[in-house]
Amino acid sequence: MTSHWCDFRNTDVILHCGSNSVENHPVGSKWLNKAHELGAKWIVVDPRYTRTAEMADIYCPIRSGTDIAFYGGMFNYIIERLIEPNLADYLAGKEVPDYNFEYLLNYTNASYLLDPEYDFDVESGLFSGFDEATKSYSNNSWRYQTDSVEEWDTTGAYAWAVADGVPEFTPPVVKHPKRDMTLADPMCVYQQLKNHYTRYDLDTVCNICGMDKETLELVYETYSATAAPGKAGMILYALGQTQHTYGAQNTRAMSVMQLLLGNVGVPGGGVNALRGEPNVQGATDMGMLVNEQPGYLKWANTTDRSSLRKWLESQTNSDGYYTNKPKFMISALKEWFGDAATVDNDYGYDWWPKVPSKKTDPDYTHVSTFELMSQDVIKGFFCWGMNPCHSAPNASNVRRAMANLDWLVVADLVATESATFWKAPDMNPADINTTVYFLPAALIYEKPGIVVNSGRWLQYRYQSLEPWEEAKPDFEMCDLLWTEICRLYEDEDGANPDPILNTKWDYYIDGKIDPRTVAWALNGYRISDSNLAEGKVDLLPSYSKLAADGSTACAMWIYSGFWNNNNAPLDPSAQPVGRRDNNDESGLGLYSNWAFSWPANRRILYNRNSADMNGKPWAADKKLVEWTGEKWDLVDQADFVAANNGVPVPPDDKSFFMLWEQNARLESYGMVDGPLPEFYEPFESPVGENLLNGALSSPCMSFAEYESTKHGDASDYPIVATTYSVTEQWQGGGQTRMCPALVEAMPAQFIEISEELAAEKGIESGDKVRVFNNRGSVEVAAVVTKRVKPLQVHGGQQHLVGLTHHYSWAGVFGTEAATVNDLTPNVVDPNSFTPEYKAFLVNIEKATGGER
Amino acid sequence: MDLTRRGFFTATGAAFAASMAFELSSQSSALAVEPASDWKLVNTEERTNVCCYCAGGCGSLCSVRDGELINVEGDPDHPVNKGGLCPKGASMFQLRNIVDPKTREVMKNPGRVTKPMVRRPGASEWEPITWDDAVAEIARKVKETRDATFVETEDGLTVNWTPGIASLGGSQQNSEEEYLITKMMRSLGVVAIDNQARV
Amino acid sequence: MAEKAILFDTSRCTGCHACQIACKCWNVLPSPTRLNENTFSGTHQNPPDLNGATRLIMTYSEADGALPNKPVAWAFGRRSCQHCTDAPCASICPSGTLYVHEESGMVTVDASKCVACHYCVTACPFDVPRYNGMQGKVNKCTGCVDRIEQGIAPACVSTCQPEALSFGDRDEMLAEAEKRLAMLKSRGYEHAVIYGAEEIGGLHVIQVFKYGVEAHGQVLDPKVSPITTLTNIMKPVTGVVAGATVIGLAVMFGLAAGYKRDKLAYNAETEDTISLETGEVIKHGDGQDTESVKEHITCNLPIGKKGGDHE
Repeated sequence: MTSHWCDFRNTDVILHCGSNSVENHPVGSKWLNKAHELGAKWIVVDPRYTRTAEMADIYCPIRSGTDIAFYGGMFNYIIERLIEPNLADYLAGKEVPDYNFEYLLNYTNASYLLDPEYDFDVESGLFSGFDEATKSYSNNSWRYQTDSVEEWDTTGAYAWAVADGVPEFTPPVVKHPKRDMTLADPMCVYQQLKNHYTRYDLDTVCNICGMDKETLELVYETYSATAAPGKAGMILYALGQTQHTYGAQNTRAMSVMQLLLGNVGVPGGGVNALRGEPNVQGATDMGMLVNEQPGYLKWANTTDRSSLRKWLESQTNSDGYYTNKPKFMISALKEWFGDAATVDNDYGYDWWPKVPSKKTDPDYTHVSTFELMSQDVIKGFFCWGMNPCHSAPNASNVRRAMANLDWLVVADLVATESATFWKAPDMNPADINTTVYFLPAALIYEKPGIVVNSGRWLQYRYQSLEPWEEAKPDFEMCDLLWTEICRLYEDEDGANPDPILNTKWDYYIDGKIDPRTVAWALNGYRISDSNLAEGKVDLLPSYSKLAADGSTACAMWIYSGFWNNNNAPLDPSAQPVGRRDNNDESGLGLYSNWAFSWPANRRILYNRNSADMNGKPWAADKKLVEWTGEKWDLVDQADFVAANNGVPVPPDDKSFFMLWEQNARLESYGMVDGPLPEFYEPFESPVGENLLNGALSSPCMSFAEYESTKHGDASDYPIVATTYSVTEQWQGGGQTRMCPALVEAMPAQFIEISEELAAEKGIESGDKVRVFNNRGSVEVAAVVTKRVKPLQVHGGQQHLVGLTHHYSWAGVFGTEAATVNDLTPNVVDPNSFTPEYKAFLVNIEKATGGER
Repeated sequence: MDLTRRGFFTATGAAFAASMAFELSSQSSALAVEPASDWKLVNTEERTNVCCYCAGGCGSLCSVRDGELINVEGDPDHPVNKGGLCPKGASMFQLRNIVDPKTREVMKNPGRVTKPMVRRPGASEWEPITWDDAVAEIARKVKETRDATFVETEDGLTVNWTPGIASLGGSQQNSEEEYLITKMMRSLGVVAIDNQARV
Repeated sequence: MAEKAILFDTSRCTGCHACQIACKCWNVLPSPTRLNENTFSGTHQNPPDLNGATRLIMTYSEADGALPNKPVAWAFGRRSCQHCTDAPCASICPSGTLYVHEESGMVTVDASKCVACHYCVTACPFDVPRYNGMQGKVNKCTGCVDRIEQGIAPACVSTCQPEALSFGDRDEMLAEAEKRLAMLKSRGYEHAVIYGAEEIGGLHVIQVFKYGVEAHGQVLDPKVSPITTLTNIMKPVTGVVAGATVIGLAVMFGLAAGYKRDKLAYNAETEDTISLETGEVIKHGDGQDTESVKEHITCNLPIGKKGGDHE
């Protein structure tokens, strides 16, 4: 989230698209209600009339998998109705009350000129740079034209980059882009955007998405009213947007929409990913992903990051805050390898595994992991509180893949489907030679530690009591395993032991593993005055003190400052993370003295954009930052350079300083599947053509070629299906199925069916229904409801169904059920490698003997 | 470890009870205003925690007496949830303890597994294992798989990777644990490291 | 202490079930624990009704929407004790199990006194009290008076994320309800209505309904059964002799399965004690028509007629 939960109340229009937050992120309900009662309009765009829709003012149905058509229509509406009619007036110096041109021109790349080769071909549905053989793009033509270049001044501001101890690297060159502040140049981003989305007219969008035109127009009109300076609109999204073969482009589309409306960085605005696991924000921050490193740095690979020097040269931004990346990187390596990391050995960089990254290399993310098991490449598997046999797409394929493992370790609370995959109804244990270890985990209140919420707040969990019996916290499990592995490599020969034996592992207090010492590592410390093994640490006040010369260690630069009180380094309650002052001095619900929000306790990201070019807030009553004429008056921590060495920096247009160009990208060359969000049908589409371009589904989607994926056609499987959660159950169900009150409140897996489809198929509520496609067949209970309705798509009636997915065979108090993810396809988005759970094809029938 | 949360029930609650006692004294002497011995939270200690479900980060209060969990509910001081919890959060007590429908007594949640187990090749059931044995066996298997699949260099480039092992998960753990898992796996050479954020 | 009330504002309710769950957890109420033991109602309403271990359920009803841009009217209700001012269950309860918590006005429960007579089941205009088996104790919302006495809102209220539930002085809750009603009307909910201000002498659960009374699972114009009015004069011995234990003189029958437990009743108005077997007045107050009392008790209290017992 670019904002946080309590900020919801500051909004003028709430737009839910791809999230059902009232149900799945209930904490937000309070704040949404407050906004609503203060007069905010509330829009829900969803295939189903959800519990969130019941709270809203406007419900707009949409066919699963057509979000980009919806957003593209919104862009077109904003351009046609708000920008084009007013642009000349604005440029002539007239007041334009309905649209924030100052934001568009100065804070986004609308005025940037694109490479003359940049192009999009409607007939093929491809952008310039596509290579048919590898089904991938070269992004060269998606970049900006350069106006002038500027080199780093390594005798002045960048002297640190050539200091002793800093590895040698060639600093990047700033390529100042060409701009046309009148937005007239045909190659400027705005003109390209305008041309691109003229195809997305109201009729076409309705025909693709299935809503009626009046409703769609009302949604566009209501939401785009937030384009007025001082108005804020907020988009709330979740897995409904990301779990598609173009999920990352959905998030791009939302960002573009919010930037066109001037809604990023303002109170009550933002692009808000509602994250669904208690510490999934933390896990993302921590880079627990194939290509990631803690703190949103990129992990070593075999191509552009194959040495430390290459890393520094490819990753260091030429301008903006990420010019400091070498400091974060060297500090991370120093924390990892301690004294063994020196400038002479590139701070141990080569001990890190390098992710295979040539185009011909196999992928190692979640979905492909199971392909690699099927191919006998992956033989050992750790599952830390995750249950892929239940929650991974094409789950029967997952079960069969796991049967190829030599060994599996599951750390969890209950014997999940993943721990018991060999007991699945379609498996024969005698044929499965996998050794499975189950390690009993401690509950959240049986261990201490930090957890990061969706609003980036780091909060502390105090231990309340001891774990039951032999259950252990995961940190203890890790320590036991690591210690034993190190012992084996010390005592015996084996494959290169250096990466293991040079790893610093000194997280003990009084000889016992203690997460507080890990907190020190995450916050960062000065090495000269620290000795973790002796419990001595010199914590850094913030990441601004990190150095690239090996004098500081920091595992997670973005968290730095969350645990920086050297007076009581062992007391979490004395640290910023432990703060509990719930006074709201801002009046905007920032709660800046409650816990710690990364980075630097900033509550609303990109907050420079809440004020105009003179530093005056767009909305006087919602001030985050303001230039007084002499200095910045900061209600929130500045997300820009407010002062340099104590000298205030007057307002400028560098409002997104985490990007090298320091303006936000309406067009982005950073995506692998296109610089602008373009609509493609899902992997499995109920219609035979794409009404907007000549490519049916995303030309870049990954894994459609896997044999296991088993594409199904609309002729066999004419119904669009989507999956989702209910508020009474949670994800793979491991935890909620062990709570009897929750099982009682939502005891079954069900399918929601419209009254029309139910009548066609002779199904009544409570009946057992068989849902099937090429990948699987499951029986679930029917819920016949008015809340799902057939849509008019491509001129015909299109049925939709929705399935919950919380139960399976490993219920304890629960209901034994089929695994709904047997149906979902294991195809993924090429940027994020997130699977397409939210739009696929099925057919349904009343199950034999399926009467209630 | 210091309690950051003020003792809501012991301090604030008592103050409220005292004022209520005054108010009620003219009306009724029947109302016991001191925490009665059957007050559920009598003599409990509280510690703050954060919910284990969505990423709302709602604050919770765990009330503990004699080392056992008595109650979990929303933290009224928490600015996000102000004491509220969703159905899942409201049931967090049941992760550890549930009510036996027969006796109506509180008991340990029988659905939870609290001892290590192992399932041997071909077996159709679990068998118990000690922590020591489990750790020794897993470490041995990790070493065997690493040694068998490790790639030190490829095309002259030092790569140090272990393609034979994968690690999945982390969004359920605390941040310190996430770091330790990441560090352990990466130092073993694992590249197939992923978590719930992927889906 | 002023009279208290719970305010349930359906314009804020998200139908999340947290109140139902919090009630179970705070009050140490079990849920089924055998695999596949729960049945599914085919809707979000689970369990489908109150039972011997469930004092509060969320109700869900769907209808075609009447508002533009709201094609469905999905009404969430909260079904539990309404805490009547003239609580018929408390009036009829012969054992002192159900009684009005004087300080708050909530109708609370001392289950230890329950003799399983099931009178309350019949008396309740809202069909709320349930038993854990025919011979178990009555199970109904206690108003969490244990919490109220400690200065904490009832468990369902505390846990309500969207702040649909609030707790406070009844006057204030009514005033707030009026504001919420006006807001709903302004949003076009023309059937929006306040419930509980006057019903059964005024309820201690004030509700603001978006879609009218019945959509939210409540009884339109609830009436105290004439049976209850009649038996209202029957006060239990144990209820009157406060603090004293009158052994063997509890009350009424447990008609279930032919089980007869106690055979004496007490008429509070006349102060007669009556044998229910013979209809004889054992101990006279003043002249009471014992025949009519007996007839009423034996013929008009078909215990167990209403379902929902939980085993």
